[in-house]
Amino acid sequence: MGTLQNRGARHPIWTFVVLVLIVGLAWLIFAPWPPGLEQAMGRKRVFLNAILSGITLGALYFLVASGFTLVFGLMRNVNLAHGSLYLLGGYVGYRLVEFTGYWLLAFPVVFILIGAFGLLLQHQVFRRMEGEELRQTLVTIGISIVLADLMLWYWGGQSYQVLSPDWLTGPMTLPLISSIQANGEAVYLSYPRVRIVILMAAIVIGLAMWFVLNRSRLGMLIRAGVDDRDILAASGVRIQYVFLVVFAFGAGMAGMAGIVGGTFQSLSPGEDTRFLLASLVVVIVGGMGSISGAALGALIIGLAEQIGIVYAPTYSVVFTFLIMAAVLAFRPQGLLGARH
Amino acid sequence: MPSVAERLSAAGTANALHLRGVTRMFGALAALTDVTLSVRSGERRAVLGSNGAGKTTLFNCITGDFPPSSGTIRFFGEDVTGFPPHERIRRGLRRTYQISALFTGLSVIDNVYLACRGVSRGRFSMLRPRGDDGLMQSALALVEAVHLTDVKDQRVSELSHGQQRQLEVALALAGAPRFILFDEPAAGLSPTERQELVEILTSLPKHIGYIIIEHDMDVALRVVESVTMMHNGRIFKEGRPEEIESDPEVQELYLGGAHGGGHA
Amino acid sequence: MAHVLPTTAPQRLVVLERIPTPVWGIALLLLLMPAFANNFVLFQIFGWSFILGMIALSLMVLAGYGGMVSLIQMTVAALAGYVVAILGTSGVPQISLGWPWWLHIPLAILIATLFGTLVGALAVRTEGIYTIMITLAIAAAFFYFTRQNYVIFNGYTGFNNVIPPALFGVDWRQPVPFYYLTLVCAALSYVAVVWMARTPFGLALQGVRDNPRRMSALGFSVTAHRILAYSFASAIAAVGGILLVWQNAQVVPGTAGIPQVIDILVIAVVGGLAHPIGPFIGALIYALLSVFASDILLAFGMAGERFKLAVGLGFLAVVFFSPDGVLGLWQRLRARMQRRERDLRPGNGEARP
Repeated sequence: MGTLQNRGARHPIWTFVVLVLIVGLAWLIFAPWPPGLEQAMGRKRVFLNAILSGITLGALYFLVASGFTLVFGLMRNVNLAHGSLYLLGGYVGYRLVEFTGYWLLAFPVVFILIGAFGLLLQHQVFRRMEGEELRQTLVTIGISIVLADLMLWYWGGQSYQVLSPDWLTGPMTLPLISSIQANGEAVYLSYPRVRIVILMAAIVIGLAMWFVLNRSRLGMLIRAGVDDRDILAASGVRIQYVFLVVFAFGAGMAGMAGIVGGTFQSLSPGEDTRFLLASLVVVIVGGMGSISGAALGALIIGLAEQIGIVYAPTYSVVFTFLIMAAVLAFRPQGLLGARH
Repeated sequence: MPSVAERLSAAGTANALHLRGVTRMFGALAALTDVTLSVRSGERRAVLGSNGAGKTTLFNCITGDFPPSSGTIRFFGEDVTGFPPHERIRRGLRRTYQISALFTGLSVIDNVYLACRGVSRGRFSMLRPRGDDGLMQSALALVEAVHLTDVKDQRVSELSHGQQRQLEVALALAGAPRFILFDEPAAGLSPTERQELVEILTSLPKHIGYIIIEHDMDVALRVVESVTMMHNGRIFKEGRPEEIESDPEVQELYLGGAHGGGHA
Repeated sequence: MAHVLPTTAPQRLVVLERIPTPVWGIALLLLLMPAFANNFVLFQIFGWSFILGMIALSLMVLAGYGGMVSLIQMTVAALAGYVVAILGTSGVPQISLGWPWWLHIPLAILIATLFGTLVGALAVRTEGIYTIMITLAIAAAFFYFTRQNYVIFNGYTGFNNVIPPALFGVDWRQPVPFYYLTLVCAALSYVAVVWMARTPFGLALQGVRDNPRRMSALGFSVTAHRILAYSFASAIAAVGGILLVWQNAQVVPGTAGIPQVIDILVIAVVGGLAHPIGPFIGALIYALLSVFASDILLAFGMAGERFKLAVGLGFLAVVFFSPDGVLGLWQRLRARMQRRERDLRPGNGEARP
């Protein structure tokens, strides 16, 4: 995984293109739009909403996909029950919030509960199937079927919405100009506070993960294992412990993401499949085993989905698919994935 | 027998393989340094040396798994230094692997048949039924040559280790090879199996030359007419088997004073 | 597997040699089935089993012979069904073009096969374990797209009234004709796969499964073989898809929904990936369970709706105790019986295993 600088130096044309796009996007976001642009592209407020929704959705996808990519990258385990863990965490979180009234408290509790479940799975089930990748994946399929039906049984088919706490409810004003009034005064965009807070939290968590991966011994082991499993085994470290930690962490993250999703959107049967698929696409686009890849992939997919929904509703799926197909065709290991 | 120097100066006329100044670096580590080596057509040579001497790297360069950092490789007079592996295979170069690379789900005869088909022209035969007698006869003959006719229909996964090594040799013999690289063919074989291996190697058609990497001096010295010793990525001595065997420097470095120190 | 010596015997006979004896017994039984089974069994259980079996066979070709576990087969099948509905006649005249059967059926197979090949081209250039992910993601994209697109695919509603053409004056959707139609298609695809497995292409595919590096070193193009395997498999799935659409008389996005896509994998695994008869065994089990599961569950005192739970637990049991499916179970049973026979034979000086 070369550093961005190295890559930039090696592909000057692409770097230039990307820089131009970023500058262009920044201008679109921060600068007031001239009337011609508004006529061509619709109102700036709509655009800003789409962008922000895309970024915050990307944050949610990142939270879910980060665990998936680590488990896949390190243990070569395509955990198709990952979406079920998400939904389970969401449902449990809902009950906790309903019961205690503390939204924040739900997070660590769900992390521990779902993480423990993940620990159990890794220790009792997957460890015994070490090396049989297909068999592990089949087991995850079975588990997802069982969990889906159990959750349907207990929670039924209706939608649940996790209520965000008072201090998070309502809009906040962002320093982004959405339009200029006739008297020359700028109108600033107001946007749901909870989404911004979750975006901040996702960034913090992402940075924390990056920090652990790149600066701690555990992180070094994980990165080495993602690159080459045999080196890890040969280093004498008890890789089973590393696997346990990673799987439990991934499960816990998925569970917490469930609470987030339940707050942003809602929880219902079928959301497990939806977020499993989102994780798949994010990892395919971003690259397996890479946290920064998951972040980049999540951002791209989130933006593509939201912009698609706003500007070309019947074809938003096609956008996501085209992005995925393009990555597969031109850079099969993912945007930030290492070529094996 | 002409000396090494004389053979070198005759390079380009009848040489199957001619390496000149081949160096291969892995980062700062020099796996091969300035290797110059000539093998005549039909010649049988052993490359010996301790682990890390660079023998397998030498093979990998010759087959084209990776290019040398510098130097040239000529195969029957043609400069193949930049050629990818399948180009070299099409010109008659073959190789066996230290860890058998076989098709475990298929039978012995299937494995050999695939090897025959792979190196023949028009191998993209899709959905054509197997009425291809010529290729099948060649495959059967090869299976016979490596003494595996009794088990030809057995799955590779059911074969013993020794039988798998014999099959490994058969794959290298498919489709008119001109020169073969044998990478530790005797690894893990019992004494009887080693004897069989020696028989197979010595009964190969005279025009097929080969280089054999081996730790077992017993096997190696019986199937070759010349020996190259490597040490730390360089060629350190060349000569006839008897010369090498009795050379005091070689004895000290590799034989520990006693002959036949090759591992089982 | 019987070794094929170069003889003057015609090729077809040789293929038939490779079909295991029990299958002949089953074949005979199936031919005579309409004599003693009722219409529901013929149409709903066997017809459906043959169709699902074909689609699962398509998966088995890729997974068992090619070492690639692909989840795109059901999608390929559904696409073929959609093309038949779009190019042929249906209850949605504003989209359906009404082309004749000898045009729209081959085109449907062609388009679906092309789609499968393209997916293969995208999927084979990455490491093996990625294949499941990629094919699942593409299958999902197809599902969502058909659900949202009204211009071509008629969205949520899909196409109804998609029935087979009345060739030779027969209403092919009647139970007995449909039974034989699906039986013949299933039998042909079974024979085709058995035959393919021993051709140079089939052998090369298995070689690619076992040791792609060696195959490449022997001069084979690994990527090309894999992609062509997708083409072959997709053709079979396409035929299955057309039959499926005729059976349901409709095609909707849910035909290739995620649960359906995964069910094909479940069927193939439960049946066994080792031999082409496996998928059909799995399909029969699945069809029986689907039809009778509620009754079975009720008999055990459980709520009839917990069908999926039972399937999931059953699947987990198979993966834990017999990962090579019913076929694997059968192999082990046979081996045990053979061993017992050997041990019991008098004067047997052989050492016990």
